[in-house]
Amino acid sequence: MQSSNLIWIARAFPDLSNINLLGQGGQKLVFSALHPSDGDVVLKIIHPSQNLEGVRREILAVQRIGSARVPQILDVGQINTQMGPSVWIREQRIIGVSLRERLQQGALTIDELLRLGVQTLEALAEAERASIVHRDVKPENIMVDVSSNYWLLDFGISRHLAMSPLTPMTSPFGKFTLGYAPPEQLRNVQNEIDARADLFAFGITFYECATGRHPFRDGAANEFEIIRRVENGVLPTLQLPCKDANSLADLVSAITQKRRDHRPATVADALTWMREILNAQSSP
Amino acid sequence: MELYLQFGYGMMDHSRSLISEWGGGTVILSPRDLTDDQLGRFSASINRIPNGAVMLDPQFYLPHADHSRLVAHGYWPSGYSTGTFFAGPQLAQLIYNLRLLNDELGTSEAILPGLLATEITDDWLGTQRMILDEARTNTFNKPLCQTIAISADACRDDAQVAKLLEHAAEHKADSYYLVCEHPKGSYLVDDASWLSNALDIVAGLKLSGAKAIVGYCSHQMLIASTVKADAIASGTWMNVRAFPPEKFRSASEEEDRRRAIWYYCPQALSEYKLPFLDVARKVGVLNLLAPQTTKSSVQALFSGGQPSTIGLAEPEAFQHYLSTLKQQVGDSVKDTFDNTVLAYETLLSDAETLLKNLTGNKIRGQMRDFSEIVDANRAALEVIKVTRGPMLRRHWTSL
Repeated sequence: MQSSNLIWIARAFPDLSNINLLGQGGQKLVFSALHPSDGDVVLKIIHPSQNLEGVRREILAVQRIGSARVPQILDVGQINTQMGPSVWIREQRIIGVSLRERLQQGALTIDELLRLGVQTLEALAEAERASIVHRDVKPENIMVDVSSNYWLLDFGISRHLAMSPLTPMTSPFGKFTLGYAPPEQLRNVQNEIDARADLFAFGITFYECATGRHPFRDGAANEFEIIRRVENGVLPTLQLPCKDANSLADLVSAITQKRRDHRPATVADALTWMREILNAQSSP
Repeated sequence: MELYLQFGYGMMDHSRSLISEWGGGTVILSPRDLTDDQLGRFSASINRIPNGAVMLDPQFYLPHADHSRLVAHGYWPSGYSTGTFFAGPQLAQLIYNLRLLNDELGTSEAILPGLLATEITDDWLGTQRMILDEARTNTFNKPLCQTIAISADACRDDAQVAKLLEHAAEHKADSYYLVCEHPKGSYLVDDASWLSNALDIVAGLKLSGAKAIVGYCSHQMLIASTVKADAIASGTWMNVRAFPPEKFRSASEEEDRRRAIWYYCPQALSEYKLPFLDVARKVGVLNLLAPQTTKSSVQALFSGGQPSTIGLAEPEAFQHYLSTLKQQVGDSVKDTFDNTVLAYETLLSDAETLLKNLTGNKIRGQMRDFSEIVDANRAALEVIKVTRGPMLRRHWTSL
């Protein structure tokens, strides 16, 4: 990003100051900035080539979920850029690192894990209440802030269960991240993708955070082997230094079951379970 | 878990005496084996026993059946057309007739009719839903129990079982009456996949908050304790200890009934013809087969004489089977999932050890010997521990 572009952004958004480029990809430009009333914010400028309906649904998802564990969308608009007419989104900025970056320092401690568990499940339970499936829960899409709170990000491929899907029902593959998506998402069985798909992906994320290793990706020769592992593998039982270690192992085992009907019926159930484990851990 | 009596041929007296002896219990009535008049009189006699209860299995598994006694019942439709029956007034009439009959018989729950699914298809699931919806429009003053009747192939198929459970979760009945055809018509099932899926269905239904009754069971289904089935139903002849759909098609089956007397050895989970008990006596291992209670109606077999000459009658053998099974069923469910699994694994291990000893002495239960079945049950249980264990463990006390 050239400094002239930063100047252009500053002119286009005169209420923002301290603008810096955070990231640049084929889909969007992301800036950090300071807003006079909202404080630290992120400004996303979506590339005009992006499917506008997808962008609209991403915004709608965050607004409908309204979770304290999902960065708020503060404002949305359209602007003419050098690339063409673009949608921009200004949202709450989380100061911290992604869970992926955190994992580079090693596995999470039990206290970190339980906090991750409760807070991420809180966000997913709010999504479930709004009939929205995130569909891409993974360490890259979870942030831990400077106060050790966890935030669920990026509803870019989320699915509104009350709306017709944007991915064709007949497509053999849907949108997913290999190694985190459950079998039903890999097979793109649209009417089988519900909040329990997020439970599976969260379970794999949790397992990775607990062990520092990805149970399906690490050591896999290729993508086909990862798929085989997702479809057929059974996760070794987690053994963590936790007061309610057996219950925690059961919870992770339950949410990572291959068949969705073997998982807890709702994210809310899983959240209740995780909170009980956290409470047991916190009790004297 | 309770033992219900699955009514079959010649079970009137057995049912009355057992329900009296047990201080109560439930009989699942079989219209195939009882006329309208008999249904009424027999139900009344069971309901008069303190804590006695009846349920009526409409046995609408094969609506094209021409089993003379079955189709002679007043509730049975006079005509059945696959394409129109469930979309028209005939279903409403069938459900209405069954409501009246359930009221007349004083049933504790109303078992709804259910077609045998050779495959779990959308059509079959749609039919299940129509039956439940229609029943809900009637004022049944008792819980509704939906029949799930599936073929052996359907039960073996993981995807079909998953589909069935997803549907049941969306369209919940108060309780379910599950009947699964045995693979290859076998009495004891050596197919771990079939068994684990049958258990999986029960577990799924239970975890969804419904009651689950497994019909047409032998003692092999003691394993249903590990998924906290509410009841298994069993009876005298083999055709009420396994679900043979063909017996509802025509009335020819009675003639095929074999008359051998079998002794059930609960600690071996196996049954033996009396000549094998003679052999056991001669080789000095008869005491290993003796029931572990002195109250058994078959105690005379172990009193010193040659077992086959004691004159054990068929009714005594049946009474022994059902009373012993009742006790095993009553002991099977423990305070936790893990303790229940442990108790069942212990039962299997003890039986296996005993069976090895007996087999070493050439004492075999032939087609009713559990030696080849232990592995299937153990494997099925392992599947349940991995796939359902976490959820069952968590919710055990509320199931």
